[in-house]
Amino acid sequence: MDFQLSFEQQMILDYGQNLAQSFGSDYWREQSDAQAFPVELWQQIAADGFLGVMVSEEYGGAGLGMTEITLLMEGMSGAGLPLFMMVVGPTMVLSLLDHYGSDSLKQRYLPAGCSGEKVFCFAITEPNAGSNSMAITTLARADGSGFKLSGQKSYITGADAADYALVVARTTPLKDAARKTDGFTLFMVDLKAPGVTIQPMEIPVMIPEKQCEIFFDDVELGPDEVVGEVDRGFGILFDVLNPERIVVAAMAVGLGRYALKKGVEYAGDRKVFGAPIGSHQGLAHPLAHAHTEIEMAALMTYKAAVNFDQGAPAGAEANMAKYFAAEAAIKAVDCSLQVNGGAGFTREVGLLDLYGLVRLLRTIPVSRELLLNYIGEKVMGLPRSY
Amino acid sequence: MKILVCIKRVVDYNVRIRVKPDGGGVVTDGVKMSMNPFDEIAVEEALRIKEAGNADEIIVVSIGAKQVQEQLRTALAMGADRGIHVETTENIQPLTASRMLLNIAQSEGVDLVLLGKQAIDDDNNQTGQMLAALWDRPQATFASGLSFDGGKATTIREVDAGLEVLEVDLPAVVTVDLRLNEPRYVKLPDMMKAKKKTIDVKTLADLGVEAAPGVSSLGVRPPEGRQAGKKVETVEELVKELQARGLVND
Ligand SMILES: Cc1cc2nc3c(=O)[nH]c(=O)nc-3n(C[C@H](O)[C@H](O)[C@H](O)COP(=O)(O)OP(=O)(O)OC[C@H]3O[C@@H](n4cnc5c(N)ncnc54)[C@H](O)[C@@H]3O)c2cc1C
Repeated sequence: MDFQLSFEQQMILDYGQNLAQSFGSDYWREQSDAQAFPVELWQQIAADGFLGVMVSEEYGGAGLGMTEITLLMEGMSGAGLPLFMMVVGPTMVLSLLDHYGSDSLKQRYLPAGCSGEKVFCFAITEPNAGSNSMAITTLARADGSGFKLSGQKSYITGADAADYALVVARTTPLKDAARKTDGFTLFMVDLKAPGVTIQPMEIPVMIPEKQCEIFFDDVELGPDEVVGEVDRGFGILFDVLNPERIVVAAMAVGLGRYALKKGVEYAGDRKVFGAPIGSHQGLAHPLAHAHTEIEMAALMTYKAAVNFDQGAPAGAEANMAKYFAAEAAIKAVDCSLQVNGGAGFTREVGLLDLYGLVRLLRTIPVSRELLLNYIGEKVMGLPRSY
Repeated sequence: MKILVCIKRVVDYNVRIRVKPDGGGVVTDGVKMSMNPFDEIAVEEALRIKEAGNADEIIVVSIGAKQVQEQLRTALAMGADRGIHVETTENIQPLTASRMLLNIAQSEGVDLVLLGKQAIDDDNNQTGQMLAALWDRPQATFASGLSFDGGKATTIREVDAGLEVLEVDLPAVVTVDLRLNEPRYVKLPDMMKAKKKTIDVKTLADLGVEAAPGVSSLGVRPPEGRQAGKKVETVEELVKELQARGLVND
């Protein structure tokens, strides 16, 4: 066991922090208030070679893995820039394409994804299928050599700003599938194609991306838009969902650190009744507790990332990391908010905005209950509840 | 042209400095350390000079314990060509540092030495000047603009009266100020390349220098906490208040 970051890993973490610091919290707040995709930030990340962290070098990437993108996202979030578009694009879609895409898919999408020229989002959730992905009804019917896609996706982060979506659809409806995990197919879908309609939803959290509904009405898809194999998409789905959980855990760790920094600074400066408020254990202990939990969440997150990179099972770790990191971040923000008194609620300090954000992470991308179900049943062998 | 850039490992500028309980310095254990921000500007300037076709090699040097190699690697990741690490755990003061840098500048035959105008730890603002004196070469300090023509460098300095333009013959020592440039982000591919670049390790003996600190520190204390302020209504009142406190003359 070795808990030291390598030079490159440390540099990646620092890069994330420096990037966030130089764009600054005002930039983040302005983009979020306007719900405007942060184009300058995206282009900077692209120019510095970080959109393709997980993409092979031959397709314009850096050929690195989960560990590196985890550190990048922890660093950015740790200085106040939790950019979800980095989760859905570089972590999920680009890395899946790199692993499972045909050569033609890779040629078409990866270099453009790494350079930032094309932006990608990920669409699985539907109005009637969130926690229960088996229940999705978006259907791609065989049509000539290709497919026609119909259905609706909801809550899709950044669909309005994206050029393409990786869409999880059924090619065999649930009722006709031998097993409920059969019949899934993953498609690259051009969001500018005829038959695609995108409608932003109103979700007031402090992030610059809009969440959108996407409607597909007989959208034509060529046979080479399939990622992986037809009807067998479920088998590779967890190669995007586990990375998603791991980076979201890293974002929660970063946000927790960011909040605690605001808490610790204020606790040392602010004097009430003649003493710095941080000298009262009623405030110091919750901060110490939250710090401990954030560090523990970080360890599990790193373990999940390293396991994933080594090809070892990472599901249990990814789920535990995401569950615990979100809870730890909520506590960290909550106790910093308390330490900051009334100031915590000002926009300038921004802890109330952060609270909404970390609270979101208890629910998405997969909720606390579903994670605990997994840990109870799949990891500990408890009887199934559903 | 060959450029030597000198970099120092210091407590990161974002860290809130804490004084050790025994007054023997500031806490550095478990504290984030970084390249001195002015030195980062010096590295950036060297890279721009090279990119403009005015230099063919950039050497970065740092003096200190093993860990200073982290800052050297950062400079290599930014784009410097190779590093020199003078390894020592002794207390190195500006005069000693400038003697070592002189040795390296001469043995490498460099045309330009770039340094930060000062390091944010001790704020001495001496090393560049001492190096120029020992080397008997021109110096231009606090540069906020730098250009080259033939064997000369032209610098712009921000002085109280305005902008001062200095021309120096090369080889020369230039120390850089905050507004000279904005250092780049290190690109991911360059981070990966930095690992393969070389860092030569030298000892004080290799450079024929002894640590011999000439200044000893008696103690370090944190600044007094700030007192509550007072609001005044008029300029007259302000002047009176300042006079009463003996802060301005009557
Ligand atoms: C801001 C935001 C961004 C999003 N971005 C994306 C995106 O980019 N792409 C995408 O595909 N989706 C996205 N989503 C959707 C998100 O992944 C889902 O909202 C999430 O998976 C929960 O699904 P649901 O909303 O349908 O809740 P439901 O599945 O309806 O669950 C409702 C509640 O019931 C609980 N519950 C359900 N089943 C059980 C059980 N068996 N035991 C105990 N409790 C249970 C859940 O934990 C939850 O608390 C986003 C959502 C939001 C809010």
